[in-house]
Amino acid sequence: MPRPIVWAVAAAACVVLAFLLVPLFVSPNARQTGPEGLAGDAAPVFALRDDRGAPVSLQEYRGRILVMNLWASWCPPCRAEMPDLQRLYERYSDRGVAIVGVNEGESPERARAFADSLRIRFPIWIDGAQRYGRTYAALGLPTTVILDRRGFVVRGFDGALTFDQMKAAVAPLVASR
Amino acid sequence: MTAFVAASLLVAVAVLVEIVLPGRALYHAGWYNVALAALVAVAVAGGRRAGRGGTRRARAAILATLAGTAVVGAAGIVNGLLAPDNQTIVGAPGQRVRVESLGTLAFPLSAASADGDAHVTLERPLHFPVSVGARSRDVGSFILRAIDRSVVAVEARDARGNRLTITQPTGSAFLSPVLLMQQRQTIAGMDLPYDSFDVPAARRVVKAVLFSAAQSALFVRGGAQIGEPSVLFAVDDENERPLPRAIGLSAGGRPVAAGGLILRGVVETFPAVEAFAVPNALATALGTLVLLGGLAGLLTRDDRAYVPQDDASLRELDAFGR
Repeated sequence: MPRPIVWAVAAAACVVLAFLLVPLFVSPNARQTGPEGLAGDAAPVFALRDDRGAPVSLQEYRGRILVMNLWASWCPPCRAEMPDLQRLYERYSDRGVAIVGVNEGESPERARAFADSLRIRFPIWIDGAQRYGRTYAALGLPTTVILDRRGFVVRGFDGALTFDQMKAAVAPLVASR
Repeated sequence: MTAFVAASLLVAVAVLVEIVLPGRALYHAGWYNVALAALVAVAVAGGRRAGRGGTRRARAAILATLAGTAVVGAAGIVNGLLAPDNQTIVGAPGQRVRVESLGTLAFPLSAASADGDAHVTLERPLHFPVSVGARSRDVGSFILRAIDRSVVAVEARDARGNRLTITQPTGSAFLSPVLLMQQRQTIAGMDLPYDSFDVPAARRVVKAVLFSAAQSALFVRGGAQIGEPSVLFAVDDENERPLPRAIGLSAGGRPVAAGGLILRGVVETFPAVEAFAVPNALATALGTLVLLGGLAGLLTRDDRAYVPQDDASLRELDAFGR
């Protein structure tokens, strides 16, 4: 058998083996788990009701930067974080930033009483079936997800944020108008 | 020649069977893959012998057959020895589950889609999303199929009827009220699925045991009607110490009071995904085509090599006893 043909067959065999073996050792998707791994995804949208019973949807916030905070009244870090979210709302709401607090699994009455006790003015939505919590890969509460003006996830955070962390996450989006 | 052809064809058949009838543990057995490698070796040895003294065309056909056999055999052996075992991937509604060497499976938000069949979507970089339903889908090195499993959607309220958050610190999705029931427990000789969840606002830990409709009819008294599945709740405090009057049965999705909570369990079906590693479809198809092309080349070589051209050729053939 001519030597060049043997070498060609050997080279082809190496290529085939590499083709077969490489997928077994390389993960096809190296994205992180949890809310941090959602960056770049289109945000899933569900129709919910707010704490007054009015129908609401993320669609209403297209064209604005949205800070979505998942919380529950029994969660101490959520309570600690809420005043900073209110401060962010006061500072950025007239600069194209919206904030929504999505209560996970509690009744509207409980959520409203909690928000009133902390003088929260941004909208509070009620997610009784906890759909946002599981779809946004929450690993705990609070979880914060920031969406850009097109409705894509820019960043996700597990755990409470300080005001400076919130500002650092939102300011570049505001500047990139 | 016969051994070479037979070994090549056997290799192709053995590997194609892994794709046509996926999911058998046999394909990952050591002896099966050693046998496959031995068949490839027999084919190579037989091919080398058959190629000696043949025409250039015959040698090329044998080489093609061997190359195809080697590719198909390698695909089978790589799958058998290195690919993961069969697995069933479960996820909560709306959850995205990343699976090594496969991609990300996005589970639907609810049990049934508009066409009545819930589909899970496989997402991979540089690929179009693949919808996985009850029909098997070949996605390169895996065959995927959605199967229905029983899950339990739970709801917890306090004594005043206020809904409470449910968490699953040890579940696949922390903030999901849907229990995937992946653990098993034997009660009264019955092997039953169970799961657990927390109600942090009430400082309760709840265990839920699922009884199918048939098991409920046989075993459970107190509310379960024939044909209704039921969920037995056992409520502990946050340190998992039992509480008084903390066991209740929610039959047919009706609420029950237990351990200071009002609990409701609705049994639903929700898809899980079975993933069977198979030899790479592209490599197997190309290898099989090259193998068959080589065999076809050998057969046509036979036809042409012995076409008598004249009386002298016929006499020469007679001398070989043909």
